[in-house]
Amino acid sequence: MTPAPLIRAEGLTRVLAVEPPVTLIRDVSFEIRQGEFVAVIGPSGCGKSSLLYLLGLLDRPTEGRLFFDGEDTTDTDGNARANMRLARFGFVFQFHFLLPEFTALENVTLPMRRLGRLADREAAARGRDLLGAMGLDGQEHKTPDKMSGGQRQRVAIARALANDPALILGDEPTGNLDSVNSARVIEIFHDLAAKEGRTIVCVTHDPEVAASAHRRIHMLDGRVERID
Amino acid sequence: MLRRFSLLLGIALRHISKRKRQTLVAIAGVGIGVGFFLAVSALMIGSQNDFVETLIDAAPHIIISDEIRSPTPQPAVLAFPDAAVEVRHYKTRNEVRGIKDWQGIMRTIGARSDAVASPSLSGAVTLRVGGREEALAIVGVEPGIEAQVSDVEQYLKEGRLRNLETTQGGVIIGEEMASRLGVRMGDIMAATSARGVTRTLKIVGLFERGRGQFGGSSGYVLLREAQSLTSQPFVINRIGIRLDDPYAAEDIAKRLEARYGYKAESWQERSADFLSLLVTRNVIMYTVISAILLVASFGIYTVVSTSVADKRRDIAIMRSMGFSSGDLQAVFVMEGFTLACIGVLAGWALGFGLMQVLGGIEFNIQGSTETIPLDRSFFQYAISAGASLFSAIIAAWLPARKAAQVDPVDILRGAV
Repeated sequence: MTPAPLIRAEGLTRVLAVEPPVTLIRDVSFEIRQGEFVAVIGPSGCGKSSLLYLLGLLDRPTEGRLFFDGEDTTDTDGNARANMRLARFGFVFQFHFLLPEFTALENVTLPMRRLGRLADREAAARGRDLLGAMGLDGQEHKTPDKMSGGQRQRVAIARALANDPALILGDEPTGNLDSVNSARVIEIFHDLAAKEGRTIVCVTHDPEVAASAHRRIHMLDGRVERID
Repeated sequence: MLRRFSLLLGIALRHISKRKRQTLVAIAGVGIGVGFFLAVSALMIGSQNDFVETLIDAAPHIIISDEIRSPTPQPAVLAFPDAAVEVRHYKTRNEVRGIKDWQGIMRTIGARSDAVASPSLSGAVTLRVGGREEALAIVGVEPGIEAQVSDVEQYLKEGRLRNLETTQGGVIIGEEMASRLGVRMGDIMAATSARGVTRTLKIVGLFERGRGQFGGSSGYVLLREAQSLTSQPFVINRIGIRLDDPYAAEDIAKRLEARYGYKAESWQERSADFLSLLVTRNVIMYTVISAILLVASFGIYTVVSTSVADKRRDIAIMRSMGFSSGDLQAVFVMEGFTLACIGVLAGWALGFGLMQVLGGIEFNIQGSTETIPLDRSFFQYAISAGASLFSAIIAAWLPARKAAQVDPVDILRGAV
């Protein structure tokens, strides 16, 4: 028996309300099951990132419905969406996007402290473990400006994993990394999917990432061209 | 909830600590505002209290005199209130001036534990020493009671009020009058009243120079002495009342007047013109000072709004992490509020220092060393803090709303 879909998109459409209106996403439907590693690929401006923001509940579809774990998320309010992102999603962006005033460990523990499920000490311990798993032992107290691009991206992945999310959303996570670091990130993503059963959706231009994914959603001009 | 608060506060503090110069300028703005607020209000309120105290204690808090504010209604008018009767140009009975049933009034006031009343009779005599003559307004008092009601005793340069009781025919006059007559302590003068009674009076005390209400041309004698000099035995025409709470004077005076019909004048009524002047002064002061505090909060507005503008990227990333828009608004309000708190503390220190300096200044007035009266009450500290923190919250809240409105997608799309 195949597992139930974690994400189900039904006719998602996103129109920017500018003059004249711009359609970013047009009638997109698909399903993604738990534990899958899915790459979203396509030329620049095809709506890949816009789709990711919709999946991550950072943006709202103009039309269509989006189900997460069987729940309709389309009409949830801002706080419910924030809580959903906090507890169940993790984001990894191209430009690592760490908070510059905080150390690596503080960046990783921030979502845990906001969620408040763990005591501060437990959060710190978990933060260390996550950084350790990313090969960042001894880097806990460095601020982002003292770290290399690859290290920063791994801190960002550790942070994305902070609250043990079911879904990890990557927006060009390897876009700014050299081939060694890219390979490392791809390996980490595969481990997360295979060993921990996390679902990974990655928007990418990187053929390595696309090739290694379980499935690929090909997009063109805001539509799903094909899924393979 | 508390953990969330401390997390957000921690983020706010981290932001502040990374922008030292702007932070210092904003803190200095609030600090200087609060400091000068304290110094100026201490000066203004202090001098005002000093002034009001002088006003209150210059004379009894309430003075009941034998005047009537409006003539007694005629019996005919009272009997037929709705009749078409008008009585005009009637002749009032030529009463002996004085307060009728003053013992009754004294008993009423005596029954209160918070008030002391002193009866007195004033009249006029002519003093004669050698070939010189001077008119003297005399006030007959009971020294023991009068001392509790007014500050007469304080203004005596020589002698004591009690001497009136121990010396037959004792009188206390002002230094100016004494020098005009060429007399000194212990000298004897002849006094003649309008009724033709003549007595010899002996000087048993002298008022200081420059105490207008006591010096000049008035003098104190024993009540009995005044009654016999003016041939008005058992009559008094003034009751001075001192209250534990001077601010109750207006109310009590009204009730006494309503009950006994005699004019009862409170110190507030007596000095209404001064008091309204003080109100104007306070309005001006608080307007100016509030403007200072308001301007100080502009600094906070600037810091918070630049902080929001600089941190748009961080706002977007925190939103994607799962912080709500309310969280982010709170972070930036806390930034402003923290700056204001530090500014208020610095301002308190500055204000305290300024007051120490002002309070240490000594100057001479007619031979006595005085210091500037200052109001150092906790209340001023509380007001300055309250006003600054309130304006700071508004000043921080306005730009912080922008932080809440940042759409993370706009930022992410622009960056990627």
